[in-house]
Amino acid sequence: MKKKWLPYLLVSPYIIHFIVFVAFPVLFSLVLTFHEWNIISPMKFKGFSNYIKMFNDRMFWKSITNTFMFLIIHIPLQIVVSLALAEFLNQNIKLKGFFRAAFFLPVIVSGVVVTILWQQLFGFDSGLFNRMLVSVGLSKVGWLTDPNIAMGSIAIMATWKNVGLYVILFLVGLQTVPTHYYEAASIEGASHWQKFRKITLPMINPTIFMVVILSTIGGFSLFIEPYIMTGGGPLSSTMSSVLYIYKQAFQYFHMGYSVTLGFFFAMLILGVVVIQKKYIEQGDD
Amino acid sequence: MTKKILIYTLLIIASLTFLYPFYWMVVASLAPESEIGSLTFLPSSFSWHSYTQMFSKIPIGKAFFNSMITATITTIGVITFSSMVGYALAKMEFRGRKAIFYIIIFTMTLPFQITLIPNYITMVKLGLVDTYAALILPFMLNAFAILMFRQAFMTIPQALIDAARIDGCSEIRIIFQVLFPNIIPTIVTVGILSFMNSWNEVLWPLIVIRDESLMTMPQMVTLFSVGGRSEAQLGVKLAAAVVLALPIMIAYGFFQKYFIQSMASSGIKE
Amino acid sequence: MKHIYILFLVLFIGCNSSKDEKDNTLLFWSSNNRGEIEFTEYFVGQWNKKKETKVRFQPIPEGQSSEEVILASVVGKTTPDIYANMWQGSVEMYAKAGVLVPLDTLEGFTEFIKARCTKKVLKEITSSDGHIYQVPWKINPIMTIYNKRLMSDFGLSKLPSTYDEYFKAGEKIKADKNNDGYVDQWVGYTAVKVIWYERLMNFYPLYIAASDGGALIKDNKAAFNNEHAIGVFRFLQKLYQKEYYSKERLTAGQDRFITEDIFTKWIGPWEIRHVDKFKQRDDFEIAFYPVQVPKGHKGPVYTYSDPKNIVVFNTCKQPQKAWNFIKTLIDKEGDKKLLEITTQLPNRKNLEMDSIFKEYFESHPKMKTFAKQANYLKGVDNSEVIVEVFDIISQEYEACVVYNKKTPEKAIEDAEKAVNNLLKN
Repeated sequence: MKKKWLPYLLVSPYIIHFIVFVAFPVLFSLVLTFHEWNIISPMKFKGFSNYIKMFNDRMFWKSITNTFMFLIIHIPLQIVVSLALAEFLNQNIKLKGFFRAAFFLPVIVSGVVVTILWQQLFGFDSGLFNRMLVSVGLSKVGWLTDPNIAMGSIAIMATWKNVGLYVILFLVGLQTVPTHYYEAASIEGASHWQKFRKITLPMINPTIFMVVILSTIGGFSLFIEPYIMTGGGPLSSTMSSVLYIYKQAFQYFHMGYSVTLGFFFAMLILGVVVIQKKYIEQGDD
Repeated sequence: MTKKILIYTLLIIASLTFLYPFYWMVVASLAPESEIGSLTFLPSSFSWHSYTQMFSKIPIGKAFFNSMITATITTIGVITFSSMVGYALAKMEFRGRKAIFYIIIFTMTLPFQITLIPNYITMVKLGLVDTYAALILPFMLNAFAILMFRQAFMTIPQALIDAARIDGCSEIRIIFQVLFPNIIPTIVTVGILSFMNSWNEVLWPLIVIRDESLMTMPQMVTLFSVGGRSEAQLGVKLAAAVVLALPIMIAYGFFQKYFIQSMASSGIKE
Repeated sequence: MKHIYILFLVLFIGCNSSKDEKDNTLLFWSSNNRGEIEFTEYFVGQWNKKKETKVRFQPIPEGQSSEEVILASVVGKTTPDIYANMWQGSVEMYAKAGVLVPLDTLEGFTEFIKARCTKKVLKEITSSDGHIYQVPWKINPIMTIYNKRLMSDFGLSKLPSTYDEYFKAGEKIKADKNNDGYVDQWVGYTAVKVIWYERLMNFYPLYIAASDGGALIKDNKAAFNNEHAIGVFRFLQKLYQKEYYSKERLTAGQDRFITEDIFTKWIGPWEIRHVDKFKQRDDFEIAFYPVQVPKGHKGPVYTYSDPKNIVVFNTCKQPQKAWNFIKTLIDKEGDKKLLEITTQLPNRKNLEMDSIFKEYFESHPKMKTFAKQANYLKGVDNSEVIVEVFDIISQEYEACVVYNKKTPEKAIEDAEKAVNNLLKN
């Protein structure tokens, strides 16, 4: 090595980027949590008042419960549907490429497109779903207007959008299972279901956990769907935490408070993900 | 045999579930406004009315251009800078290498919710609000791409690099001329992922761009959908959604395999 | 490789260089609806032909609400010189933040404004520091629009103008036309979305009507915990309970007034253009009348004026020139053009009587209804947190009116508490 500075030159863009867009914002937001600031006027030091306000802010806690509500519906649904579709595709099937491409289509399309489209499908009077329900003699559902259902509807839509990706991940996982395991089980007369439970599931456990973590992180960033479809309603049932943080910041310009919420929420996400990862490592033994 | 039929039936139903809504969206955007509410397969007549209306209401062409510029420059930036960092981490010895590596891992796990608002404030203070720079700079580098490149470079035999050095190549030339042809799959993956992420990003443009002539396409369509200019007309909203979906769908049609591989690898490497 | 860096450099520098011409040109943001763009295009075109100071106009960028866009541009320092569609309620906040030019310090302003406005409007627009930061420009009184043909179809002999009459009409009109077990014809519709500005189209005008122009905020305290607000909540709540109104978001689908499935709506005069543009049958006739009031209400019915005013931001280098432009924009000729092109009313005194507008109103009876209403209006109270006040009311509105989770008394009381809490800080 003639030039000792060369590696530093190569990593310097990253260092600069890290300082400007990661390190500084994190430290600055810590400072901001103790202030009230709308950017226009000077900052006002407020001690812990933002934190106190946060702990008493029912809407913020509701947004967190809503987010978990979303995850509780979204994750199991996602796993069951994508695993089932992957299992089907993993059989000796013709047109495999077509099916895979079809499932994958919503994944590549912008969430904005999906949301605008599903807003119409969910419509109460003349949305496609309700028209289908009525045509088979069932009653209409307030997909986006019933506070008990709206978040579920969004979770279904998100599942529809992402399933294709997880089908592929599961397919990769399924293909790592050695075929002679299945052959041995067949000789012993195991049923299809037994083979799935005793061989497939344990073998693709790592994929399942990966899917859980990816969908958790995705779910915590829920924003554009409620922003376009419901604005957080009805009865705040689809107010996601990111939407609430956005609202505090850009509707009221409570920057200090909004940053406090963002800081706390990020810590919460980290906590959840760390717990999930711990659990996975234990499961690996 | 019955099992096979069952599986095929289920697969066909599933693919219809994924494809039909898109079909409906396209047909509805071409149908007369009054028929959208009852549309299932085909309207009584087709017209471009919703599209001409939409094009006259919002500068969607400009937005397409903005998205194109933003996504292209971001992608070039990510490939250039991340490969440099990845190369240094993979093939060079220097003090602080470990530290940088751990910082990168840490950044990957850091939720964006924490930096969102402070980064906006940075943009305001740097006077970058309403510029392309605001859309591009924060995404010029990313931890995931660096790790991908690092991994790719680690698999390259040291002998290749040594030979190039003996030939008198500078390290920059080694990366971009000697090594790049050997890691094309990684470049494609990083390229597709960066392009798609940039193309589909909405929250950040909503925050830093308020000038219509600089808005990106998804942002423009979002605001058109929630704002007043669509005058509560359904067809124009759907037309905007179709126009937003089209470019990426066409790209997907051509490079389907790469899209699927790239997206899948983004999950697997976590 | 170097080329790419140069490209970046050029791009970033290129992005920032377009601001040079700012010094001799005034940047003017108008509202972004079709009519107003048309009007501004016309007016600015005329102006630039004759005058030395050039004006460049741009419709305000699209956003969830124009208030949000303005706020962001103030923070990002990308404000125009003149903005012509400032909601009166937002002005106080910006005045306190020091980003607006106090117009009364400009030459010729005070005399002009005194000639244009009534004492009442003058009082409304004067900031708590005694300065005036806004030019009252236009108003859109909120009234009840109705479908004339449906009125005779439903056999209504009289327009439902009290809460009780409105309920009766609701009962009469409610129908399931396609027999699918769901109501698909209603007496009216109003937005259910919880976002604050939607309350300006339902709760607020009804409250003003019931209380003859009552205030929401008085002496920095909530002033709406009274029979009027509670009555309005109860009125609206019953509309949803009895299914006279649909709580489904009809506007997310098609406009059901245009498809003639609803009889009335609370709306401003801009709707005249909208109906003309989108109506599906040629015999679709509309007219307007005041919003509903409780039984026994006496005297003229007040309503919300939806005042939109002109402001000059302190990023403007030549406020005096900006004022000269505004002065021409809102002189009698300008106001007449505004009326003709946009069907929105200029905010000036004696509108209905003024000879220059008389002819217009004679030939436009719908607009005459609005001009008559213009004598009985209220804008918004001066408070820098008025948006949050409306947001709080909106939360309670949704819980009580739309989803029937609270009694009107409790909802109004909770809103009062929350507002007082907000004002205390």
